Amino acid sequence: MEITSRVDGNLIQFNVVGRIDASTSGNVESAVNTAIGGGSQRVIFDMSGVDYISSAGLRAILVAAKKAKSAGGGVAVFGLQAGVAEVFNVAGFGKIIPIVSSDAEARAKLSA
Amino acid sequence: MKHLTLADEIVVLMLDDTDGEIRPDCIAVATVAIAGGILMELALLGRVDSDLQTLFVVDPSPVGDELLDAILQEVDAETEKKSSAWWIDRLSKRHGDLVDRVLARLVSAGILRVEERKFLWVFSRRAYPQVSGREDREAKGRLMAVLFNDEVPDPRDTLLLGLAKSTDVLAAILTEEQLDKAAPRIEEVASLEEIGRSVGLVASEIRTAMVTIMMAHYP
Repeated sequence: MEITSRVDGNLIQFNVVGRIDASTSGNVESAVNTAIGGGSQRVIFDMSGVDYISSAGLRAILVAAKKAKSAGGGVAVFGLQAGVAEVFNVAGFGKIIPIVSSDAEARAKLSA
Repeated sequence: MKHLTLADEIVVLMLDDTDGEIRPDCIAVATVAIAGGILMELALLGRVDSDLQTLFVVDPSPVGDELLDAILQEVDAETEKKSSAWWIDRLSKRHGDLVDRVLARLVSAGILRVEERKFLWVFSRRAYPQVSGREDREAKGRLMAVLFNDEVPDPRDTLLLGLAKSTDVLAAILTEEQLDKAAPRIEEVASLEEIGRSVGLVASEIRTAMVTIMMAHYP
């Protein structure tokens, strides 16, 4: 898995590519911790390059959402591939964080 | 015992506060909940992971807990891919003594004490009153916080809520009014974790089977 980021004020957008599972979810958590520690409150995940997510991966997103909300912001995700979208839907993640289709929508949700 | 595992916590919650025995509503699904709690703990410790189809070992190294390590070894030894629900069902059937084993470790840890009781003057049975009740209060407090605060839930609390929902413990610790009010939140949070959903599925199948058997005998 590769994760790159782009900061825009107090918003950070992560571009994740590959699998998010038990062996890589720690990298997501570390990246989010560093970002929130550095003042980013609003966190967006571009998931268009993610082709697999396990329970450990979802847990990392949940922890990110909890930390971002505690910091006064939130998390939004966009660009879910079909298999990944199914995992999010079965878990009902859409009730916890915004799951949208574009970068612009994600920004709008976190600005609301 | 450094801290209570999810399997320990759900056993503490399944015990009736007044008589120290497993609540009647929980008995049928107690081993299922403990098996699920063990797999959940192993997941939080980074030893197993799961997806919609399978549960698998990602790190077979021991965690230093006899009960958890035995189950980890068993899952690791399986060569075929199996789902979380399959494992929960399998472990609960193969380890029918899970309730007794967890009760014993809670007694050893000084959280419960054993009381031998007689009923009908002849038959004896064991009860497990809590020593201080601190662990029970702490677990219930976390569940209440998840249910009645609109915060993003912590994964451990999410998993505990899944176990509490599947065992009907929530019906015992919440008033009817609280249960009604929290119903949407219970569904929302309990569905977040795959192993939690699988525990619910297996527990539901057991309850359905029991009702079917009862209907057959008492139509």
